[in-house]
Amino acid sequence: MEKQIIVTIGREFGSAGHEIGEELAKRLGIKFYDRAIVEDIAKHTGIDEGLIEKHDEKSRVPFLSRTVRGYSNSMEDVIFELEARFIREKADQGESFVLIGRNGDGILKGRPGLITVFVRGDIEEKTARVMEKYNLSKADALEKMKRHDKTRKEYHNSKYETKWGDSRTYDLCINSSPIGVEITTDILEKYILSRVEKD
Amino acid sequence: MSLAAISSIIVFLVMFILVISEKFEKHLVTLSCGGIMLIVVFGAIMRDGDAIADTLNFYSLVNPNFWIGEAPDTSGIDWATIIFLGGMMVMVEGLSKAGFFNWLCMTLAKMVSYKKMPLFITFMIVSAILSMFIDSITVILFLAAVTVELSKLLNFNPVPMILSEIFCANLGGSATMCGDPPNIIIGSKLHYSFIDFVLNTGVIAGICLVVIVIYFYLVYRKEFSTSNEEIDYSSMPSPKDAITSKFYFFGNTIIFVCAIVMLITHANTHLSVAFIGASVALATSIFNIKHIKEILSKVDYKILLFFLGLFIVVGGLEKTGILEAIAGFISRVSGGNAKVMIAIVIWISAIASAFVDNIPFAATMVPIIKGLSVGNPALQATLAWTLSIGTDIGGAATPIGASANVVGTAVAGRAGHPISWGKYCKTAVPAAIIVVGMSMLLIYLRYC
Repeated sequence: MEKQIIVTIGREFGSAGHEIGEELAKRLGIKFYDRAIVEDIAKHTGIDEGLIEKHDEKSRVPFLSRTVRGYSNSMEDVIFELEARFIREKADQGESFVLIGRNGDGILKGRPGLITVFVRGDIEEKTARVMEKYNLSKADALEKMKRHDKTRKEYHNSKYETKWGDSRTYDLCINSSPIGVEITTDILEKYILSRVEKD
Repeated sequence: MSLAAISSIIVFLVMFILVISEKFEKHLVTLSCGGIMLIVVFGAIMRDGDAIADTLNFYSLVNPNFWIGEAPDTSGIDWATIIFLGGMMVMVEGLSKAGFFNWLCMTLAKMVSYKKMPLFITFMIVSAILSMFIDSITVILFLAAVTVELSKLLNFNPVPMILSEIFCANLGGSATMCGDPPNIIIGSKLHYSFIDFVLNTGVIAGICLVVIVIYFYLVYRKEFSTSNEEIDYSSMPSPKDAITSKFYFFGNTIIFVCAIVMLITHANTHLSVAFIGASVALATSIFNIKHIKEILSKVDYKILLFFLGLFIVVGGLEKTGILEAIAGFISRVSGGNAKVMIAIVIWISAIASAFVDNIPFAATMVPIIKGLSVGNPALQATLAWTLSIGTDIGGAATPIGASANVVGTAVAGRAGHPISWGKYCKTAVPAAIIVVGMSMLLIYLRYC
């Protein structure tokens, strides 16, 4: 693909946003970045991978860090800065990619070729998916979903004025539950290709 | 306890919690709480217009002695501290724009032939010396950045060097009146001069610096013991390249030297710190008139507004008698024994400053010290030096205790060397305990 396409996908836990993003990257023939960027950053900086994972996609813990003249020494903020730099570098290099989470919509805001997507799902569908994937009881699955969504929301909203999951934050918000992964991916692919053509 | 006293405590606690939670910008927090203190506590509850006027303290600005002469004894907003800090910030921005700090760091690195161990020792000492005159945030901002740069070229881990620099910056800051914001507050409110600090906290800090350099040498000697034989020295950045303009470099350096001379001699010349701050700001502004917009835009005006609000809130505690009550409590606990008072002040200051911003803590403690030493100027001076050492060194113990620690660890993190609480405290806590313990003994030996 000649034009640079950057698709960022925010997602509710259990909404299959990750699967959809992976499939979308395959269809568009572009790179796919998810949690695995942690490995790349660890390799590049020499920081312990476990340490990055521990603070990845999390907002700062209050009272344990401070910000002075825009410099924050929160481990979560430091990891965010490193991830943001990695993502910006990839975008600056002209690479096309699909990025899952990591506040991609905020980090890359205003870049040409950026398409921001949010995938949500119905509670029953999401619960069933999480129960199956992680072999959990319904109560545990619900608890896990609630916890992860809260963390993601706090992580996003602590960095940017736009709100996580709010339709005004993204180009496209979609509920994957009624139509499934395949059709959701079809719709997103069509939307992206139309945007590329129009731009 | 009166309604006014209870209300002022609530306002203070709300301010304190909101400041350390960082939910809102801290200058907005202190200004809002300051506004509540003036309107609700002084206005609605106490109906005391004089308390509002005293706390705002505008009249001190038109008192000639505020600028030259014996500074008036006031409570509430300490305009001298605010003007001095603002002036020094303008001067530091001028120096920074001319490339002074990078030039200094690179010159020192070249002087020790880029050898790791001498570099490690030199940067610790430079960090302490620079922090005596310039705010430690700026010192660490430049030193840490240069350390990261050199670590890439010389192939070493910058974290031990940055941690040592941070600690020494805090220690150096305790040596003078302008080294650390708590000292400016202590000096300005209690009328101590630059030289008073040098002869008291300066001596203690100097002795402790020798011990701390040895301590960090012993802790990190293995990190810097390997020689850098394969390094191509010709690839090292030249100190001259750091200078953006010779004209501005020399001009701003002269202003810096003049500021130091004025500070050292202000007890004799009777120029107040407010006068010195205003003069250096004016001189820097005129000299750098072409770049004045850029320089002024970089001044951290938020910290000045933070101070403004903070002084009003602490003034509220003072006017409602809370700080007097705390002083009375400490006096009763210590049984009037100076040694016990010193131990209480130094350890409480150190422990509190390790976890909360040491600026509001020092601002709160100054009136308490005044209350503890009514009619005893020698005790007031001793407790002032004790508070200074306690807050400055306690602040060095954790990553959040002082602003320099935050900036240093953040610079390291951004460069791909995140510093966890564990890593930071492993060396800083023992160092802080050593310095606070040593300082307490030195204070006992000299003043008791």
